[in-house]
Amino acid sequence: MKELKYFEILKKNKEIQGVLSGDKYNVAVISNMIVVQVKEILEYSIRLLNINAFVEIGNFDNIVQESLRFCKNNLCVIFWELANVIEGLSFKAELFDDDGKNQIIEKVKMEIDMMFMNLRDTPLVLINKFSTLMFNSQNVRTNTYDKICDEINRYIETKKNPNTVIVDIDRVLARISIDRSIDFRNYYSSKSIYTVEFYKEYVMFINPVIASVNGKGKKVLVFDCDNTLWSGIIGEDGANGIDMSSNTARGSVFNEIQHIALSLNKKGVLLGICSKNNEDDVDEVLKTHPDMKIRNENLTVKKVNWDDKTINLSAVSTELNIGIDSMVFVDDSAYELGFVVRCLPEITTLQVPMDIYRYPNILRETASLFYKTSESAEDSIKVRLYQEQSNRYTCKDSFECVEDYLKSLSLKMKIFVNDITIVPRMAQLTQKTNQFNLTTQRYTETDIRNFIKDENSIIFALEVEDKFGNYGITGLAIVKLRDGRQNAEIDSFLVSCRIIGRNIEFAFFDYIYRYLLNIGVKVICGIYKKTIKNKQVSDFYDKLCFSHIENKDNTEQIYSLNVSAYTPMNVEYIEVLNERKN
Amino acid sequence: MKERIKQILASVFGIDPSDINDDSSPENIEEWDSLKHMNMILALEEEFQIRFTNEEVIELISCALIESMIKEKLAET
Repeated sequence: MKELKYFEILKKNKEIQGVLSGDKYNVAVISNMIVVQVKEILEYSIRLLNINAFVEIGNFDNIVQESLRFCKNNLCVIFWELANVIEGLSFKAELFDDDGKNQIIEKVKMEIDMMFMNLRDTPLVLINKFSTLMFNSQNVRTNTYDKICDEINRYIETKKNPNTVIVDIDRVLARISIDRSIDFRNYYSSKSIYTVEFYKEYVMFINPVIASVNGKGKKVLVFDCDNTLWSGIIGEDGANGIDMSSNTARGSVFNEIQHIALSLNKKGVLLGICSKNNEDDVDEVLKTHPDMKIRNENLTVKKVNWDDKTINLSAVSTELNIGIDSMVFVDDSAYELGFVVRCLPEITTLQVPMDIYRYPNILRETASLFYKTSESAEDSIKVRLYQEQSNRYTCKDSFECVEDYLKSLSLKMKIFVNDITIVPRMAQLTQKTNQFNLTTQRYTETDIRNFIKDENSIIFALEVEDKFGNYGITGLAIVKLRDGRQNAEIDSFLVSCRIIGRNIEFAFFDYIYRYLLNIGVKVICGIYKKTIKNKQVSDFYDKLCFSHIENKDNTEQIYSLNVSAYTPMNVEYIEVLNERKN
Repeated sequence: MKERIKQILASVFGIDPSDINDDSSPENIEEWDSLKHMNMILALEEEFQIRFTNEEVIELISCALIESMIKEKLAET
């Protein structure tokens, strides 16, 4: 919304009007100022909630009568500007004696009473808190104008009906600055003062209230785990290697994140996790990690497996019987989020920022979407649930969707063969990769150098990029040649967890296969060595149509592939930048 | 530039961009009333990152005038 220009909002608002159906949701904006531009901006922000909203601007400066005229509306928004409760109050107030001041206050109080009386049965009323910021922000001391403002605000607080929410517009002004919120150009000629930028910020500020009253508020907050609830990757770094401690700079951020999540949980927001990980690893953290604040009892849903996140998130929606549009999903990977949004466009997503210090603030912004009208008894509103059009989004056929998504990524893969310049990274990959690692052989830099020197071994490394960026060198395979280069054994085959799920491993294998074919290899031998972390690759060679040859003590499986019998996977959406020609 | 202006005017007045030409003005576009005029000014200012004076706001009463005024403004900066 904020990134849209005013004319784009006008255009999109007109387009969306043709698409929406269902009961009309009538909104009135009642003001003692000219606020015409808020009409379409507000209308569009509500229509984005799938609510068939129509906004009407009340007649200028007639708040009491207009509140009666619009009392049957679904929503009344009161834009009551203190500066204009009498002509020129902002500068006349200082010249008032106490009597003059009290007369003004009494006049406004009386109008407030009548307005609240008129609007007592309206489903939802939003009234802006009176503010002096636009005229008084330069003053060190409070003045008469401030005092009038404070007193009226206190009065509204005590008199408001249960259906009324007071909107603190000072916060909106603070968020974008006073200078950008107001424009005096048309103030003297036509009593128009707020900018388009202000209206955009304002409608986003009140949007969660409107969503909530219409049963469209966010209800579930689902987190990925690695680099989202804690710093680090549990499957690679282990329980001691991940960080969410308040004693480290990076850990403190994640510590704060968990506290924010828990405070939302306390207010009734459901929490969940959805992570590609080994369930036991995550369970161990949840049960025993001393710095973990979120525990099992805080989690309503837990999806820790290697399935697509869209499948898991759809399952969450079904299990909890809530719409996809009620869910917020937080993940550190642009790739995962891109995929989720493509398949479940109604979900709200949040990406952990690269500048990690920004993360808590971004989560707090999102947390405002969980606004609940009935947070406290006092605020409990007679909620008129909007007729929920049964438009619960069903996930596209998952396979089709994955393919679509991967095609859209512009995946590119670059292969390095026996490249001496990347020895440290290659050694590191063998040492750190636990999950997508067929044999989990650990090698030092010297070992890697020796493989490069040795004529009978070939070491392949893989660099990946897509439209989200470059992932660096994230895959490795070491092949040993035997029997006069007739046979090849895949000593190591591993892919960093940062890039799994894109079928890159198959494109990588295809490349290696073509390379080996080219140098005359006849049979390729593959080995899977079981560890507690690498279950997800137990069927990797089966997928590549290797024949299973031998089971050694249930821990090591030997496979074989006749090179002439292999049909390459030919993953069409992965471009190989230095493809070897056969 | 001309296309961008047409797009904006079309969105503000809620009409088709093809119905707008150089001579378009409040005389021949029914939807171009004084309130929409102000909305148009705000939309143009936002799009082109410029600001019109009160006098200019009053003068901008045809598509051609708008275009030449914006060109002038952009050249100043």
